Amino acid sequence: MKLRNWSWLAILVMLGLVVAACSSTAASEGGSTIVVGLQAEPVTLDAQQMSDYNSTRAGRNIFDALLHFKDESTDVEPALAESWDISPDGRVYTFHLRQGVKFHDGTDFNADAVVFSYERQIDPNHPYHDTGEFAYADFTFSMVDKIEKVDDFTVRISLKEPFAPFLANMAMHSATIVSPTAVEKYGRDFSKNPVGTGPFKFVSWTPGVEIVLEKNPDYWGGAPSVDKVIYRPIIDDQARLNELEAGSVDFIVNIPPDDLARLKADTRFTTVEQPGMHTWYVVFNCQKAPFDDVRVRQAVNYAIDRQAIIEGILQNTGTLANSPLPPVLWSYTFDVQSYEFNQEKAKQLLAEAGYPDGLSINFWVPTSGSGMQQPVAMGQAIQADLKKVGVDAKIETFEWGTYLDKTIVEDAQTLPEIFQMSWVGDNGDPDNFLYILLSGDQYPPNGFNLGHCKDDAVDKILREARTTLDQAKRTELYVQAQKMLVEDAFWVPIDHETQIVVMKNSIKNFKLHPTGDFRFRDVLVEP
Amino acid sequence: MTGYIIRRILALIPVLLGVSFLVFLILYLAPGDPALIILGPKANATSLAQLRHDLGLDQPFLIQYLRWLWRVLQGDWGRSIQLKREVLPLILTRFQATAYLTLFSALLAILFGIPAGIISATHQYSLLDRVSMVGILIGFSMPVFWLGILLQIFFSIYLGILPVSGMQSPNQQGFPDLLRHLVLPSMALATGAAVIIARMTRSSMLEVMQQDYIRTARAKGQIERLVIYRHALRNALIPIVTVIGLQVGYLLGGDILVEIVFSWPGIGLLMMNGIMARDFPLVQGAILLVASSYVVINLIVDILYSYLDPRIHYQ
Repeated sequence: MKLRNWSWLAILVMLGLVVAACSSTAASEGGSTIVVGLQAEPVTLDAQQMSDYNSTRAGRNIFDALLHFKDESTDVEPALAESWDISPDGRVYTFHLRQGVKFHDGTDFNADAVVFSYERQIDPNHPYHDTGEFAYADFTFSMVDKIEKVDDFTVRISLKEPFAPFLANMAMHSATIVSPTAVEKYGRDFSKNPVGTGPFKFVSWTPGVEIVLEKNPDYWGGAPSVDKVIYRPIIDDQARLNELEAGSVDFIVNIPPDDLARLKADTRFTTVEQPGMHTWYVVFNCQKAPFDDVRVRQAVNYAIDRQAIIEGILQNTGTLANSPLPPVLWSYTFDVQSYEFNQEKAKQLLAEAGYPDGLSINFWVPTSGSGMQQPVAMGQAIQADLKKVGVDAKIETFEWGTYLDKTIVEDAQTLPEIFQMSWVGDNGDPDNFLYILLSGDQYPPNGFNLGHCKDDAVDKILREARTTLDQAKRTELYVQAQKMLVEDAFWVPIDHETQIVVMKNSIKNFKLHPTGDFRFRDVLVEP
Repeated sequence: MTGYIIRRILALIPVLLGVSFLVFLILYLAPGDPALIILGPKANATSLAQLRHDLGLDQPFLIQYLRWLWRVLQGDWGRSIQLKREVLPLILTRFQATAYLTLFSALLAILFGIPAGIISATHQYSLLDRVSMVGILIGFSMPVFWLGILLQIFFSIYLGILPVSGMQSPNQQGFPDLLRHLVLPSMALATGAAVIIARMTRSSMLEVMQQDYIRTARAKGQIERLVIYRHALRNALIPIVTVIGLQVGYLLGGDILVEIVFSWPGIGLLMMNGIMARDFPLVQGAILLVASSYVVINLIVDILYSYLDPRIHYQ
C-alpha cells in the first residue's frame, strides 16, 4: 500500500503502452509489396555514384544502361541500346538506341541523355560534374576517347585503344542513363531524388527508416508484377533474421551461418544461393624477402588448410578458391596446379628456399571490411597453420579505413610480408580480376596489384587478352594466364563467398545475379 | 537565477570550441583517407587528388578547421562526405530519434528504478530487498545487445505483439506506431539505467532514513507513507537526480549497441559510421550537437537541485 502512487502511475503507463502497442497491428499493404531487409542504409540512389551493395541493391532497379547483364550471368544483352556495331579495329562502338522510351519524369530518352550521363562523370568541366562523386568513372570510362551523338538515337563511342571488356562496362551501374532534366533540377540532391528509365520508380526515402520504390507501369521491357518494393536498413544480422521470422520483412541478406540450416528446413522460407563474383585472398609482398622467392610463396599455399577455414569459420558460406578467378566467370578453369593441404611439402619447400628453421613475418589483418568475411578469425586460423610449418606470423589488425590507406601504397617496402584482401568483380570480365589485380602494369596507386608482383610472360598474355575481341581466343588466353598465375603463387586464394538470401516462400522467381544486384522485375508474389 | 543560466549557456561556447577542435584534430591525425573511402580502390590517383582538393583535404590542418568553423558560425554545417546530404538536417533528425528513445527509456528507468530503490531501502534486508538487489545485479550484468535480441524473440516472434526493429512501419506514421517501436529498445536501454537509479535511490534513502528529522516525523505520528515521500524521498533525491542527469546525458549521445540491434536511426550509429568513413563535417556536427545537449542537461540538473533543496542558491 505504501507505494501506491508510484505503482499506479507505473501500471497506468505500462497499460497505456500495451493498449497502444496492440491496438494498431501492422496494416496490410494494398497490392503486392516486398519488404527487403538490407545490411545498412544505402549511401546514394544515383546509380552512377554507387560503390556499395546496399546502394546498388536498392537503387539499381530505378535505372537502365545501354546494355544489360543476362540473368544469372555476366553476358550482355540489349537494353536501352537495341543493337551495336564495333569497327573492325575494335576502337569505335556505335550504339543504336531504343526509341519511345521515357524517363520516370516524362523526359524523353535519347542520344543527348546518353552523352549527358557519361560526360557528367568524366568531363571535369561538365556543368553537372560537381553533382556527385563518381567512384567508378575511371574504371568504366578510362579507355574512352570520345563520345558523340550521331543522331537522336545513335551514339558513337571511340576508344583510345581496343579494349575487349568495354561492352561489359556498358552494362555496369556506372554506365546507367540518368534523366538530364532531373539532374539539372536537383543538382547534388539527385542522389536522393533519382530518375531513370528502369522497371521501378523512386517514391520516397526516409533516412534510417526506408526507401520505397513502385513499379513503372510503362516500362519498355514490360511492367513488373510486384507493385512496390520497400528497403529497410536493419544493421544487426540477428535482428534482420528476427524481422523475417516475425513476418515484418519478406526478404533478407547476410544470414547468420548458424541459422542457415534451420532456415533451409523451414517451409515458410525459400533460400537462394549463388557463388559470388568474389575472391578472398592473402597477398604476398613480392618486393621483399622471403616472398620474392616463389618456393616460399608456394610453401605457404601448401601450409594453409583452406577447406578447414571454409567449413569451420565460414560454415560453408564460401567455396574453395583454386584460382584468383571465381568460377562464375567465363574462362574459369579447374586445370591448374592444386595446392592441397600438405604441411610436409610446405616444410620441404621452405628448407629448399633456405629456411629449414622457419622464419618470422608480419601479417596485416583488417578488423572488418567490404567482402572481407571474417578477417580476424580467418587470419588466426592461417596464423595457426603457418606456425605448424615454422612460419611465425605476427598479426597486426587495423580498422578498415586505415587498412585501405596502409595497403594501397606505391612503396612496397612499407608493406608487411603478407596481408589479407578481397575483391568483388564489377563487370564480369576476367580482365577485371586477372589484369587489375595481378598484372605488372597495375601497381598502386593506379591499380590494385597490391603485392607488387610481376610475371612478364603473364603480363603479355593479359595485355593481349584485353585487346582481343574474339571471346574464344580470349578464353584461351585467360586459361593460360590462370595456370601461370597459380604456379607463380602471388596469392593464397582462400575462398569465393556464396551469395545467400532468404525470403518468404510466397516470393517466386527470384534469381541472384553475380553482380550482387537484386532484380525484382520478373518476381511474382503469391497471395 | 536568470543571470546564472545565461552565464552557463555562454560558458558553452569555449566548451564547444574546445570539443570541436579536439575532435577535428583526432580525425585529422587518424590514418585513413576520406577520398579513398568514398571513391574506393577503383579510382585512379588523379580522381583521388581532385576529390581531396574539392573536399579541402589538401589544406593544412588549421586552415581546414578554421574554414569549417567559419562556415558553422554562418549556419552552414557542411555536407556529409559519405552520405552526400546536408549535415544539419541529418543530425537533427537523427538526434530527434535518439531523444525519443532517451526520454522514453529515462521515463521507464525512473518509474521502475526509484520505486525499486525505495522498497529496498524501506525493507532493508527483507526478502523483497534481496530479491530486488539480485534483480538489479542481473539487470546490470546483462549485455544490452543480448537483452535486446531476447526481447525481440519474446515479444516480436513468440508473442508477435511488437515490431522487431526500426522506428516506424512501412507506410505508417504517427504516435501510436512510434510508441510501438519505442517499447523494446527502451526496455533494453532502461534496464541498465533503472538499475543504477535503483541502487542510488536505495543508498540515498537508507542514509536519509537515519536522520533525526525522520525520527521526529515519526514521533509526531505522521503516517509512514508521508514520512517516506514527504520527508525522506525529497531529501534523498539530489544524488538520484544527479545520476538520472548523467544517464540522460549519456543516452543522448546515442547508445550504439541498442541502435544497431534495433536499427534505431539515432545519432550514435550515425557518428560511428561517420568516424569509420572519416566524414569530418558529419562527425563534427554530431559531436557539437551531442556535447551541447550534455551541457544543457547538466544545467537542468543544477537548476533542479535548487528547486529540490532551497538551501542551494546560484548567483
